[in-house]
Amino acid sequence: MRISREVRGYLLYAGAFFVVLEALLWVAILWWPSFEENTAALKQISSPLPMLTDQLNLIERIGVGAYVVGQHFFKGCNTLGIAAAVLFAMGAVAGEAQRGTLEAWLARPVSRLRLYSERYCAGQLALWVPIMAATLTIPALLTTVDEKMGYADLARCAVHQSLFLGVIYSLTFMLSARGSQPVWIAMTMLFLAIFEFAIYMVKTITHYSVFRWVDIESFAEILKEDALAPWVTLSLIGLNLAPYLVGLAFFQRRLP
Amino acid sequence: MSERAITDASPPITCRGLTRTFGRTVALAPLDLDVSPGQVTGLLGPNGSGKSTLLRCLVGLVRPDSGTARVAGVQVVGDGTAVRRRVTYAPGELHLYGEMRGGEQIDWLLRGRGARARRRGRSVAAELGLPLSDKVRGYSHGMKRQLCFAAAMAPDVAVRILDEPSEGLDPTKRSELLSYLAEDAAGDRTILLSSHHLGEVALACQRLVFLNEGRVIADETPASVQERAARLLHLAWAGKPPGGLAAALAGPHAESVTIEGSRVTVLLAQRDPRPFLAALARQSDLPAPAEIEIGRLSLQGLYRDLYGVAGV
Repeated sequence: MRISREVRGYLLYAGAFFVVLEALLWVAILWWPSFEENTAALKQISSPLPMLTDQLNLIERIGVGAYVVGQHFFKGCNTLGIAAAVLFAMGAVAGEAQRGTLEAWLARPVSRLRLYSERYCAGQLALWVPIMAATLTIPALLTTVDEKMGYADLARCAVHQSLFLGVIYSLTFMLSARGSQPVWIAMTMLFLAIFEFAIYMVKTITHYSVFRWVDIESFAEILKEDALAPWVTLSLIGLNLAPYLVGLAFFQRRLP
Repeated sequence: MSERAITDASPPITCRGLTRTFGRTVALAPLDLDVSPGQVTGLLGPNGSGKSTLLRCLVGLVRPDSGTARVAGVQVVGDGTAVRRRVTYAPGELHLYGEMRGGEQIDWLLRGRGARARRRGRSVAAELGLPLSDKVRGYSHGMKRQLCFAAAMAPDVAVRILDEPSEGLDPTKRSELLSYLAEDAAGDRTILLSSHHLGEVALACQRLVFLNEGRVIADETPASVQERAARLLHLAWAGKPPGGLAAALAGPHAESVTIEGSRVTVLLAQRDPRPFLAALARQSDLPAPAEIEIGRLSLQGLYRDLYGVAGV
């Protein structure tokens, strides 16, 4: 079976994303014993940033579970995942417009709904699969440092994280369906992400930041409840779907 | 089932009151057009006359502001997928994926057309001499154009819509493409193509539709265009043309006289210029013209002289 150029591209993206996530995970988990020994010293260093101190307190209280979700989801998936989400979506339509291939892409006897949805789903999968796959290697990796975590707990956290990154991806995709300059779309989204993270780090306004949805505390809550918070999950699904539909409306009327 | 199996008594392409504006620019004023089956119809017009917009409307890539279009028995609605299944379209804008090989690009362009069309596309491209195993980024402009042409000629459909299919090609390749078109149309296929090259459309088309400012300004056969063009006579005087020239040149042998700067265009009443020239020679008060040119057939001249359209 021959793999199309587009599928090859997304496989490459997904593969690279998985490799980097997995590498970060290895480093983080193998470092866990030293981290545990040095938590007190790290808290001292982070004292000017109360938000970080709070996270370290949480890790100290909960142990390896909080540390792992902090390292893998809060740090690894959020930083790399946002970059990946923006990268996967920014050129989806705008890239075709920029290089002049939009007309040829649309001129084939394939509906716009299908063209748009195929590309959207391929990007979502390129985000979800590496996160899920890397997450499911955690229990095996933890055995190297004599710790344990359940697959189901981690899978729930991975779904929550993927839904969050899906929102970033969907918003970027929506902008791509409207625009013609992928770099500007990426810069807009990355600026927004950095701005949101800056808000997150300021204790008095941290609750206005979207990163509250994917910090150690929210993952700790999922681990404690053994379930995803239904309203948060439904909200994230809605925030994935809304930009998808708005983007589709843009795309349906888009000129070649 | 072949997409050509559609039977419909109406013309393969019909537009009624099609309009489209882009901001303040009117691309299509209300436009009506019927294209007969088994005919190659050439769409001609200066840049910005609405040719590409019309073709894009016909394949559903641009939605008209008002009016209706029916192509290959199907109303153009929504995103036009139903129409594009029954017609092929070669875009005028030529941008392909440089990282693909020629063969892959053909397959990509023919997505949704079936394996037979893909094989045929590769075979047409190979007949045109395209190196299908080379990356498209190494192709010249003309080669890319031929690749798109090969893809547009491959599916077995009733209607082909081609936007400047031979733009950027050398005369040899152009005539090769024309023979493909002639062969294809002989199989009772309807072809609508736009072009800037009058020689080409005059050879390949049975009908010429001239557009300007989004409207059909003339709809003729190549023979009638050539007949009228053969009756065009251009005169030029050194410096400013003498006064009272229009009145002096008017007469039973001239159908119309147009003076633009130092250039005078006369549409003769008959093909033979001698009666007019003899009458001109008898006008002893007129200085002798510096240049006399008869029957020159260029698209630019045709627009200006026959249809009064400037800026081709």
